[in-house]
Amino acid sequence: MGQEKGYLALVLHAHLPFIKHPEYPDFLEEDWFYEAMVETYLPLLNVFENLTDEGVDFRLTMSVTPPLCNMMSDPLLIERFRHYLNQRVELSEKELQRTHGTDFAPVAKMYYDKFRRLKDLFENKYHSHVLEGFKKFQDMGKLEIITCGATHGYLPLMVHKESVNAQVKIAANDYRIRFGRSPRGIWLGECAYNPGDDKFLRDEGIRFFFMESHGILHGTPRPKYGIYAPVYCPKTGVAAFARDMESAQQVWSAESGYPGDARYREFYRDLGYDLDYDYIKPYLHSDGVRRNIGMKYCKITGKVPLNQKAPYYPDEARSVAAEHAGNFMFNRQKQIEYLATLMDRKPLVVSMYDAELYGHWWYEGIDFLEFLFKKIYYDQKDIKLITPMEYLEMYPVNQTVQPSMSSWGDKGYHDVWLNSGNDWIYRHLIKSAERMRDLANAHPHAGGLLGRTLNQMARELVLMQSSDWAFLMTTGTAKEYSTKRTKDHVQRFNELYEQIKHNRINEAYVYDLECRDSIFQEIDYNVYSSAAKDKVLNQYK
Amino acid sequence: MEKHLSSTAFQPVRPAAPQDSADLPTGYGTTESYLLPKDPAWMFLFWEIIPATFDYIRSQYGQETLNRSRTIIRLYDITGVEYFDGNNANVFYDMPVMLDAKSWYIHAPQAGRTYIADLGFLTPEGQFILLTRTNVTSLPPGKVSDIIDDQWMCVEGDFIKLLELSGAAHIGLGASERMHVIDQRWRLTELAGALRAPSSAMSSWSSFALHTAPAPVEDEDIWLKADCEIIVYGSASRNAIVSINGKEIQLQDGKFSFRQALPSGAVLDLPIKATNKKGDKKRQVHIKALREQGK
Repeated sequence: MGQEKGYLALVLHAHLPFIKHPEYPDFLEEDWFYEAMVETYLPLLNVFENLTDEGVDFRLTMSVTPPLCNMMSDPLLIERFRHYLNQRVELSEKELQRTHGTDFAPVAKMYYDKFRRLKDLFENKYHSHVLEGFKKFQDMGKLEIITCGATHGYLPLMVHKESVNAQVKIAANDYRIRFGRSPRGIWLGECAYNPGDDKFLRDEGIRFFFMESHGILHGTPRPKYGIYAPVYCPKTGVAAFARDMESAQQVWSAESGYPGDARYREFYRDLGYDLDYDYIKPYLHSDGVRRNIGMKYCKITGKVPLNQKAPYYPDEARSVAAEHAGNFMFNRQKQIEYLATLMDRKPLVVSMYDAELYGHWWYEGIDFLEFLFKKIYYDQKDIKLITPMEYLEMYPVNQTVQPSMSSWGDKGYHDVWLNSGNDWIYRHLIKSAERMRDLANAHPHAGGLLGRTLNQMARELVLMQSSDWAFLMTTGTAKEYSTKRTKDHVQRFNELYEQIKHNRINEAYVYDLECRDSIFQEIDYNVYSSAAKDKVLNQYK
Repeated sequence: MEKHLSSTAFQPVRPAAPQDSADLPTGYGTTESYLLPKDPAWMFLFWEIIPATFDYIRSQYGQETLNRSRTIIRLYDITGVEYFDGNNANVFYDMPVMLDAKSWYIHAPQAGRTYIADLGFLTPEGQFILLTRTNVTSLPPGKVSDIIDDQWMCVEGDFIKLLELSGAAHIGLGASERMHVIDQRWRLTELAGALRAPSSAMSSWSSFALHTAPAPVEDEDIWLKADCEIIVYGSASRNAIVSINGKEIQLQDGKFSFRQALPSGAVLDLPIKATNKKGDKKRQVHIKALREQGK
C-alpha cells in the first residue's frame, strides 16, 4: 500500500443487444453497433493506446458483453462496419474542401483526422478485430474485462434457475474463447441481482460483481462501510461492489452534469439533416431518408433553437473536458479524504457508467477520460485507480453480507422490466425456459440434426431473454422493433419445439436460423439440464 | 482470437426465412401459474387454466358449488418455511380475482418476506378449492437492516454519515441516464412516461430515514405509515384504441391494466376512452378517486 488515502474504481459497461439482419442489405438498427464502434469503442482503444505510448499507468474495469463480443467478431457485421467507416472517411475528406475558409473548417478537420485514425487502428493495428485491442490491454494488466449474462438476461425474473445457470455458463465460455482465460468479474444485466444467484457465478470462478448502492445498503447484516468497501456473499464468498451515486450524479445530473456545457458538441444538429440532399444521399440508408449520420458541426451554444446553434470548436471543447476532468478528480480527492476519516481502512469509490454514454451521448467524454487518467497519474497522490481484483488482493478479509435484491433501473427494482407495457413477455420467456430445460433433460448429448436443433433453440432462448427488449418497450423508443424481436425469437423457438416434438425437423429452417440468429457458435444446450443446475446448487446446501 | 477474417466482400444476402407469424399463442395448454417479484411492495402473478381443469373441479365439487363460490388469489407468507404443504404458512391473505384476467399485480402485505400464491374457488362455507399453485418468490426488504454484525461493529453516527454519503437520496435514479441515451437515438426527446406511475418512486424510499437508526427498544411511542396506489383494469374490443387520461394504453389479449399512485388528498381523474380505428365509434368510462386521509 502506498501513501494514497483511498481508491477509485472506474467501471464502464459496454453493451448492445445482438442485432444482425443478413436478410436485408442494410438495416437501421444495426447502426447502433456501427455508431458505438466509431464513437465509443474505437475511441476508447485509442485512449488506451495514447496512454500506453506516453507511459501513463491506468486502471479500468470494463464489461464487453457477450452479444457485443459476438458482433465484434461477426464477419458480416465487420464488413458492414468497414463500409460504414470508409464512407465517413470519404465524406469527411470531401468536407475539408467544402468548409475550407469557413467557421466549420476546424470541426471538419477534426472528423477527418479522427476517422482516419480510427480506420488505421481498425485495419492495421487490430486487423478488423477490435477484441484484439481490448485483450491486449487486459494482458498488459491495465484493463480488467468482465463478462455479463449471455445476452444481458434479467436474472431475477427467471423462475427456472437452469436459465440463470445457462446465462452465466454460456457467457463464461464465450469469454474464454475471446480472451483466453476465465472471467474474474461479471456485470449482471441491469445490475439485477437475486440473492443466491452468486452460486452460479462462483461455479464459473467469478470472484466479483457490481450492484446499485441499495443492493449493499439494504443487505443483511448492516454493511459496516456502507458502499465504500465490497462485501462477500454468504457461502459463496463472491464479492459485491456497489455504485457510488455521488460520482455518478456529478457526471450525469440533468441540471449540473458536465455534458450540458454550452461549448460541447450539440447532438441534435447533424449533417444528415443539414447538407444538400444530393450531396448527403450516398451516406444515408438505401431508403434515402434523412437521418443522423454522426457528424455534427455545432456546439450546444445555450438554450437556443437548433437553427441558431454556433459552430463547434474542437480545441475549445477539449479544454472544457480537461477542466471537467480536473473538477471530477478534485471532488473524488475530497470525497475520499472525508470518507477516510469515517473508516478504519482505505475507502473505495466505485464509479460505474454505461460505456456508450462516453463518446456517443457525451462526445467529449472520451477526452474527459483521457485527461482524467493523466491527471490522476501526474497531478496528485491522494487517490489511486484500482480494479476490483487488486482491491481484493489488498483487502482479502471483508464483511459477509447477503446483498438485497435490486437493480440499477428506475426505482431500483424490476419496474422497468416488468410493468403493464411489457409483462406479457414473461408468459413466453418462462414457458420457453421450461421447455428448454425439459428437452435438455430428455435428450442428453444429442448429436446430428437433433443436436443442432436443440442448440438453435438455446440461441433463440437467450436472444429472447435479452433485457434490452423489455427495456425498450418501457422507454417507448424502438418499441416496435423490440416487440418484434421478442415475438420472433419466441416463435422460432416454438416452431423448433414443435418440429422436435412431432419428429419433423426441417433442416433448411434450422440452417436459416443458424445463419440469422448466429450468436454463440459454440453453444451447448446441455447447459440447460437440471443436472447442471443441481450440481451447482448442491455445493451450497 | 485465432479466427482471422478474410477480407471478402459481403456475404450474399440470404433469402428471407419462412415468415414469422404475427401473433404469439395466448396460452400453452397447461394449467399453471407464476409469481414474479417487482419491488418490495408488488408482485406480478400470471396464470393459464385450461378447460380440463375446470371440468375436473366441476366433476369433483359440482357446478352448483362453483356457482356459489368466489374466485380468489390466496397469498401465503411462507417466510422461513422449508417445505410448504399448503397448511403450514405463517399467514395467508385472500383477494378476489377475475380468472379471465390471466394476470394480476398483487400488493405484498409486507416487504422482505417470502410468498407463494394459489388460485382457486372459495365456497360460502369457507372451503378452498385449488386450481393452481405458483412458484415461491422472495421480496427485497426495501430498507436498511436492523441486524448488526458483532464482528463488524460500527459507530452509529459514522454509519449514518456513510449512508448519507452513499447517496441514499438518489437511489433508484440509476437507469434514467441510459433511457436518455437510447431515447435520443431516435430523436425522441420526451420520455414515454405513460407507463411509469408518477411519484410512486418515492413510496419505498420516503420511509428510508425512518429506518436508518435501529428502532428504540423501550420506547412507548409507535409509528405508522400508510400509502395508497390504485389499479385500473378492464377490457375492450380487440380492435379498439384505448386511452387513459389521454395516453394510449396497449391492450394485451383485449385487456389492460394501469397502476398509479394516489397521494394523500389527491383527486385522481381518469377518463378511459375506447375508439375504433375509424374514430367514429366511442365508448367512455370515467373513474374518479379521492383519497381522504384523516388523522
